[in-house]
Amino acid sequence: MKLIHTDALIIGGGLAGQRAAIGMRRRGLHPLILSLVPAKRSHSVAAQGGMQASLGNCAKGEGDSEDVHFEDTVRGSDWGCDQIVARMFAHMAPKAAREMAAWGVPWSRVRSGEHRVVINGQPVTLLEREAAHGLITARDFGGTRKWRTCHTSDGTGHALLYAVSDRVIAESIPVHDRKEALALIHDGRRCHGAVVRDLVSGELAAYLAGATVIATGGYGRIYGVSTNALINEGMGAALALETGVARLGNMEAVQFHPTAIVPAGILVTEGCRGDGGLLKDVDGYRFMPDYEPDKKELASRDVVSRRMAEHMRRGKGVRSPYGEHLWLDITGLGAEHIDKNLREVKDICQYFLGIDPAREYIPVRPTQHYSMGGVRTDHSGQSPWLAGLFSCGEAACWDMHGFNRLGGNSLAETLVAGMLVGESVADYCASAEAEAGCATALAREFLEREQAELAAIARGRGNEAAVALRRRMETVMTDSVGLFRNGPALAAAVDELADLLRRSRHLAMRCQRLDANPELVQAYRLPRMLKVALTVALGALQRTESRGAHFREDFPARDDRHWLNRTLASWRPGDALPTLDYEVLDVMHMELPPGFRGYGVRNIVEHPLTALRQAEVDELREARLDRHALQSQLMAFKQYLPKRYRGRNARLDEPLP
Amino acid sequence: MDVLQSVTGLFLGLFMWLHMFFVATILLGHDAFWTVARFFEGYFFFGRSLPWLVSLFVAAVSAMLVVHAWLALRKFPAQWKQHAAFWRHMGRLRHGDTTLWLVQVLTGFAMFFLAPVHLYLMLTHPELIGPYESADRVWSGRMWPLYLVLLFLVELHAGVGLYRLAVKWVAFRDPRRSLRILGRLKWAFTVFFLVLGLLSLAAYIKLGIEHADRVGEPYIPAWIKTAP
Amino acid sequence: MALDPGLRRGDGDNEYSRPMVMNRALSFQVFRHNPRDPADAPRTQEYSLDETPGMTLFIALTRIREEQDPSLNFDFVCRAGVCGSCAMVINSRPGLACRTLTAGLPESIHLFPLPGFELIGDLSVNTGKWMRAMSERLRAWLHFEAEPDVDALEAPMPPELAEQVYELDRCTECGCCVAGCGTAQMRADFVGAVGMNKIARFRLDPRDVRGDADFYEVVGDDSGVFGCMSLLGCHDLCPKRLPLQTQIAYLRRSMARQGLW
Repeated sequence: MKLIHTDALIIGGGLAGQRAAIGMRRRGLHPLILSLVPAKRSHSVAAQGGMQASLGNCAKGEGDSEDVHFEDTVRGSDWGCDQIVARMFAHMAPKAAREMAAWGVPWSRVRSGEHRVVINGQPVTLLEREAAHGLITARDFGGTRKWRTCHTSDGTGHALLYAVSDRVIAESIPVHDRKEALALIHDGRRCHGAVVRDLVSGELAAYLAGATVIATGGYGRIYGVSTNALINEGMGAALALETGVARLGNMEAVQFHPTAIVPAGILVTEGCRGDGGLLKDVDGYRFMPDYEPDKKELASRDVVSRRMAEHMRRGKGVRSPYGEHLWLDITGLGAEHIDKNLREVKDICQYFLGIDPAREYIPVRPTQHYSMGGVRTDHSGQSPWLAGLFSCGEAACWDMHGFNRLGGNSLAETLVAGMLVGESVADYCASAEAEAGCATALAREFLEREQAELAAIARGRGNEAAVALRRRMETVMTDSVGLFRNGPALAAAVDELADLLRRSRHLAMRCQRLDANPELVQAYRLPRMLKVALTVALGALQRTESRGAHFREDFPARDDRHWLNRTLASWRPGDALPTLDYEVLDVMHMELPPGFRGYGVRNIVEHPLTALRQAEVDELREARLDRHALQSQLMAFKQYLPKRYRGRNARLDEPLP
Repeated sequence: MDVLQSVTGLFLGLFMWLHMFFVATILLGHDAFWTVARFFEGYFFFGRSLPWLVSLFVAAVSAMLVVHAWLALRKFPAQWKQHAAFWRHMGRLRHGDTTLWLVQVLTGFAMFFLAPVHLYLMLTHPELIGPYESADRVWSGRMWPLYLVLLFLVELHAGVGLYRLAVKWVAFRDPRRSLRILGRLKWAFTVFFLVLGLLSLAAYIKLGIEHADRVGEPYIPAWIKTAP
Repeated sequence: MALDPGLRRGDGDNEYSRPMVMNRALSFQVFRHNPRDPADAPRTQEYSLDETPGMTLFIALTRIREEQDPSLNFDFVCRAGVCGSCAMVINSRPGLACRTLTAGLPESIHLFPLPGFELIGDLSVNTGKWMRAMSERLRAWLHFEAEPDVDALEAPMPPELAEQVYELDRCTECGCCVAGCGTAQMRADFVGAVGMNKIARFRLDPRDVRGDADFYEVVGDDSGVFGCMSLLGCHDLCPKRLPLQTQIAYLRRSMARQGLW
């Protein structure tokens, strides 16, 4: 048996995983990163528009602070997030942006003096302060009250991933790429690492680790059309689920991005609308102001996507051989702006649509984009049910996004969570608990189990076609567990997915090779994807309310009275369906008690304690404390942060004492 | 080393272009060429011809050539495997600049053998440069096939080489546009000098044929003959 | 030595060629080889496919794998032209397969793995391993003076300079420049345009404390900038259209200056 020992095993080489590894390395650990693809090819690279951090440098960002960022994030989540986590996040985001600036990210900078922008379709002249010249600038994004999205043109994910990957190389952290974790090694209480398959040679090895971190990104590929990379198949969630112990949080919270191109499903950034782009219908009419007169195109993503779908249902979509779509019009921004700030968008339009976005409209429609759900963790990033198992980034349900993530908050989360989980893992590895027990025998047991299972799959004596089952899963998810959901369709979806799962164990195989064999990979991933899909569908079926991206046509109200909670999914070995239970969100500890997001018509079933908590909060606000003192009175959070990250953030308007 | 190769290349390339102009002065008339030839022998400085000056210059050019060739050899594929790799790569890619490099290698290699013949003649008989003298060498001395081949080799090699130099050392602001222009310029120069060279060679051949019965007679300009 | 008329400078791509609706029958000649199987000889295998509107090589290869040959190896990750995974030799030119429309290709399409990299199988090569080794050798990361104080204001940087750095930072390490480089094909130790561009990027960045003497140590020789023969394959084939000629020329001058004085 090939056995590899490491202090910490990080599964996933994207931004979150790599940043976490660097933190561990700096605390003296020897972490090891596992990645399906070379780390610089991870899906983080595809993030375009930017990351939110309340630096408040640019004119439209003046007056920004953690407080505003926190409130935007909580509202964006439709009060589904963990507010402590949202606070930790808003506090850390400026530090993450500044660390990246020092590590070499070529952030777009403020240019002092006047410059012309497009706001609400109209040209506007802004004046940037002299003092801010050369500091990190920001653009507007949906659902935010300030211009807070820091960016490098529209290749922000690329610039960040390369800076962080370069540091991983600089600090000699090994990255074992083209390797896939097949199962976590655990004893029901503690996680000891993973059984890993080499995707080139097919060889299995046991990686034994003090701590294991799942940082595998989202599960978008269970849908037929997704902006996600092909590798985002939810294998991290499946790893945790298959332990039977660890739980997944809010799996039904799936985000649809308003603007993916048709038919390829490739994202064009929210920055298009942030920079002044408009949504138009078949008549070339700008329809968003009719639905959301206040935020228009820059409402939260869940709202814009739903409004677009609504508008198409009214017959205002553009018919095409690939189904209906709407138009994104950025012609008003001018070729110069597009060449400088939206160049990836331009490339994508050119190569995949054959159009010049400076002159022509871009065909778009809402498309699966982000997984708010994931491996449920506590504030430190650890699974409450399986010690030594951590998770960060999109793979995790640390829960700062609740039921809808704000644009620009995902890149920021990868770095912030990476910074914090790196510290948590280092703390954990220094604890007595982590040192207990070497699990060689356990590792052998798990490895042999996986080996036998792979061999059985490779023999492939069944009669089912993996491709057909997968297509069916994608269709069911898109049709029944998509933007609009309802009870009967969801119930049928759960039944069919469960049936697909049964059938997926009887696949026929044409190529029986055990080394680099894409057919084999598809065969062993399919049942895992179906399990993940089932947690999404079942969660959606049982949640009889509408919150954020989860919209039930049969239950359109946000029901705080019954559903101000987080769905937890686990899968007991041998069961046909996941088991769901719920974790209450405590209104009495919220800094921002549940309220109205300001989109459409107010349709909320109030929680009985909301008014009480609101009164408490109002009273404290009356006391006219300084904002930091007030905040710590409302909801203290700094105790959850490592000491090194508790300091206040300097701003031009708020210099450090 | 790369710098030295570039510098020697630059010198040789520019020299070859100038050389072509000097040689081409035959097209302007016998006297023009005679004047150029004597000029280099210091006739107009010292009042008499000092052919060893030309020898000295030829020696310098030869040295430069040896250095340039030696430095260039480093870039040649040393092993058969590398050689094969390049041919395979070039055949597959069909990429202009890559193919041009092979032109450099082949012309450079050929010149390594042919150029010394010409240089040796110039080194040992520097005084034999003049309208009749050169024409006799070309025709009666049966050198014209060599010069014809050398002309193509030199102009191709110099044209491509100078283009490569620009590409190597000049950081263009708008590279795509500049390179397009530069590529055209390179071909224009090469064609220009080839035409010029062919015309000149033809002129020498014509002169050589006409002068074949008087081989060995040096040319003396009429204005010197008539002078006291 | 005929020059391919399709390979002109400056049009590294079929600009704004609108995907046309055609019903061609495409023939794919795909390189097949499993280097781990001693009995498996390299060969090309033919697949036929009906062209659909807007078809890219990603769509075509995925269909071939799903409908005809599940064992075919290739690498697509983002399938949007940003991650650099899917570079391969398409009708004799290295390029990103995911954003190559079949409409811009003839009916007969030849696909080969990128040369110059370790073959994993069929069209899949290990560019990641090559790139990491190159980064380690060139020390291609930002060498900063000290860990930043993340609480304090970031150091200002001229906006134009940030844009210039980003321009060079856009490299996706896809490997097309290495596959398109005659020098790199001849000499395995040549750092390629990707390596030189990285050095140029860090050299331009004022946050990097290294000077030309440090850079000279890693690229000031024949496996670095002085090995480059300016064949411009990299410049003409770069999918991100990075100004590689400019950067290499500039670096060569700086390194020559450093070497001479």
